[in-house]
Amino acid sequence: MGSGRRVWRFLTSPVLAMVLLLWIGVWSIIGSFVPQSDLDPMGVALWAAANPALETVAGTLGLHEAFTSPLFIVPGLFLALCTAACAWQRAGVARRRARSLRDARSDVEPGDETSADFEIVCDPVLDTAAIVERSATTLEHLGISSRKGERFVSAVSPWWSVWGTAVFHWALVALIVLIAGGSLARASGQMGVAVKQVKPDRPESYGQLTSGPLHSWDLVDRWIRVDAFDIDYVTGDLHRGPTPTVTVLDGEGNVLASQLVYPNNTLKQGALTIYPVDYGLSATLAMVDDAGAEMQRTTQLVDFAEGNPDGTAPITPLGLAGPDGVLGYQVIVSVPLDERPEGLVACTPEVPAAHVVIVDTGGAAVVDEVIAVDEGVALPTGGELRLLGVDYYARLQMVDDPSIPLLYLAGTISMIGLGVATLARQMVLKAWTLESPEGTRLLVRMRLWRIHSTSRSEIEDELRRALGAAEGSRS
Amino acid sequence: MTFEIIMTWVTLLLYAGATAVSAIGVVFSKEKFIRTAVVVATAGLAAQTASLGLRWVRVGHGPYLGFYEVSAALVLFVVATFVVVASRQPRLASAGIGVMPVALLLLGGAMFAQTTEVPMTGKLTSFWLAIHVVFANLAFGAFVISFGLAIAYVVRERSKTGEWARRFGRLPAQDALENLTVSYVLVGFFFWGIMIVTGAIWANEAWGRYWGWDPVETWSLIVWIIYAVYLHLRYTLKWGGERLAWVAICAMPLSLFTLIGIPAVFDTTHAGIGGLGKDL
Ligand code: HEM
Repeated sequence: MGSGRRVWRFLTSPVLAMVLLLWIGVWSIIGSFVPQSDLDPMGVALWAAANPALETVAGTLGLHEAFTSPLFIVPGLFLALCTAACAWQRAGVARRRARSLRDARSDVEPGDETSADFEIVCDPVLDTAAIVERSATTLEHLGISSRKGERFVSAVSPWWSVWGTAVFHWALVALIVLIAGGSLARASGQMGVAVKQVKPDRPESYGQLTSGPLHSWDLVDRWIRVDAFDIDYVTGDLHRGPTPTVTVLDGEGNVLASQLVYPNNTLKQGALTIYPVDYGLSATLAMVDDAGAEMQRTTQLVDFAEGNPDGTAPITPLGLAGPDGVLGYQVIVSVPLDERPEGLVACTPEVPAAHVVIVDTGGAAVVDEVIAVDEGVALPTGGELRLLGVDYYARLQMVDDPSIPLLYLAGTISMIGLGVATLARQMVLKAWTLESPEGTRLLVRMRLWRIHSTSRSEIEDELRRALGAAEGSRS
Repeated sequence: MTFEIIMTWVTLLLYAGATAVSAIGVVFSKEKFIRTAVVVATAGLAAQTASLGLRWVRVGHGPYLGFYEVSAALVLFVVATFVVVASRQPRLASAGIGVMPVALLLLGGAMFAQTTEVPMTGKLTSFWLAIHVVFANLAFGAFVISFGLAIAYVVRERSKTGEWARRFGRLPAQDALENLTVSYVLVGFFFWGIMIVTGAIWANEAWGRYWGWDPVETWSLIVWIIYAVYLHLRYTLKWGGERLAWVAICAMPLSLFTLIGIPAVFDTTHAGIGGLGKDL
């Protein structure tokens, strides 16, 4: 046997497919019991401390990253390769079966004695027409529709019935390849955008970001704007939760898409999907020089922070450089929340204000003031920091994944293929009558390519019963 | 509410009755009892439909949130599948001895565990929810039928004196029974696949990601793979007989675990399927 053939035999070996499937299954079971670092980093640390002996094994095998581990990915990709080989083989089988179906359909001549799988000596009271009629009715009872001729009955599955398995396995290959390819091309991360703020869809706009090696940031020039924010958007009698109105713009400022985004109502624009994860507040501040001219404007995003007396804390403090350009201070801006008997309220305060704390490099606070809108604090570097307004910011989950429409397509095709493989019969049945001295006989030829709930013996038994087979019917 | 509670208890009693009558029918080879069990199960099904329908109207959403509703819906689909199968193919009615106890225990367990109502939230409101849940239920219905048939197969196979072969006399011959088991696994596998695909589409719509290795997602894939292994054992390695039946018997509880057991063991964002609806 040539080495090519040997490789092919290996790839299409049922045992290999089984081993790979079992490996993926067992690995997933173990992975489900071990905390995963991307979902639950705290859980990993706690688990490691509680199970030091198991941790050595889990750490070595990469079980805390079970579903990105080479021990999962490599067998998964290898399974895709084997499935492709098998799908190729199944396509060949389907083509041959489809040819048999076509031939059987066009062949309307009764067969001869030698081509029958079994025969039934029919009840003498039945004439040919009655035998044909009864055979068809019996098949009908078994859920098999048939065609009747003068002396024969035939049940031939449609051509597509034999393609289910091949289509299903090909679609599985496509799914695995798309999932793998998608994860290389996908960028996904979270971006905080304040109301009325516009940010470019570039890595620097993201707080958290994972970007696949094949993802190109230069492919599209896109900007994200949040136009409005409804703290509790209601449709009918359903509370949709905090809901931003998000707009996607192109480089020239043209609107590409704009809508309210809330769960089950994500914004889709090309390969981009936007979904709101969380929200916080924002304080828009202006740096004003001693003459009162605005030098710079900045929007500070603040998150709700339970431990903080104000109830909020900035995501990242601002740096403040002196005239020499050297960073000398940090400006920490928070928004004091309104207090109600039940606690601090996670909304914009009724009288918006900002709490500005400026610390020097030694950590000493040189400014600590609360300012209302249009008020300012003097900066130690000269000039003033003025509060222009307080509003919400939306933390958006942004996923750029060109594989998703293709995944949906492959998923749908796989289910159609599987549906056909599951529900369609794959069979050729021809039954024809033959006159002979011992009476009329029904000769039956049958190809059942897939084991189905109606089995071969069942069809034979039912036909024998219906036609009142006398002793002597041969199998 | 009172009528709803009465109907739920009536359901439980009727399912208990169907289980008992089915067992008597099989053990004492009384065909009439086996047929009666199907009728009693059908009456139970009507009562359960009424009870769940009333609950639907009262809580304002279908039976898919919280442990009780999810389990009750599974039971409804299991019994409905059984009734349809047994009416279309009366010779399969004795599989009720494997199917009805599952329905009875699951409904009883759900009624006594907790029947708390979980409100519908914006995060759940999607037509994908209904499709996703219906296919999960359909898949489970098919898996429980395959489980019942596989149990009958094994019991008959092991009956040294042939006693049980006689008791299950109306069931098709062993080879046909095996084919039927495979068929129901195949149908269940297909529905389970649709459940996974629609779940992934919905996760993408609701959470902005189609797959996140949440325990429920991971376990639904595991169950799918286990049934794929079963089908490959059958179709490519030509397994058959008792050992193949055992695979079907062992796989069904794993599908049940995936559908209702996960929140008891893992932290999951899918808590709505069986937990207290946290994180919805
Ligand atoms: C991703 C992994 C795979 C999954 C989930 C899977 C699943 C299935 C399922 C559900 C069936 C029964 C339904 C049908 O006929 O389509 C099946 C049948 C089959 N599979 Fe796979 N399969 C996989 C990979 C493979 C591989 C690698 C091989 C090659 C050895 C293979 C060969 C076959 C064959 C020969 C059949 C029987 C077809 C028939 O009897 O008509 N499969 N597979």
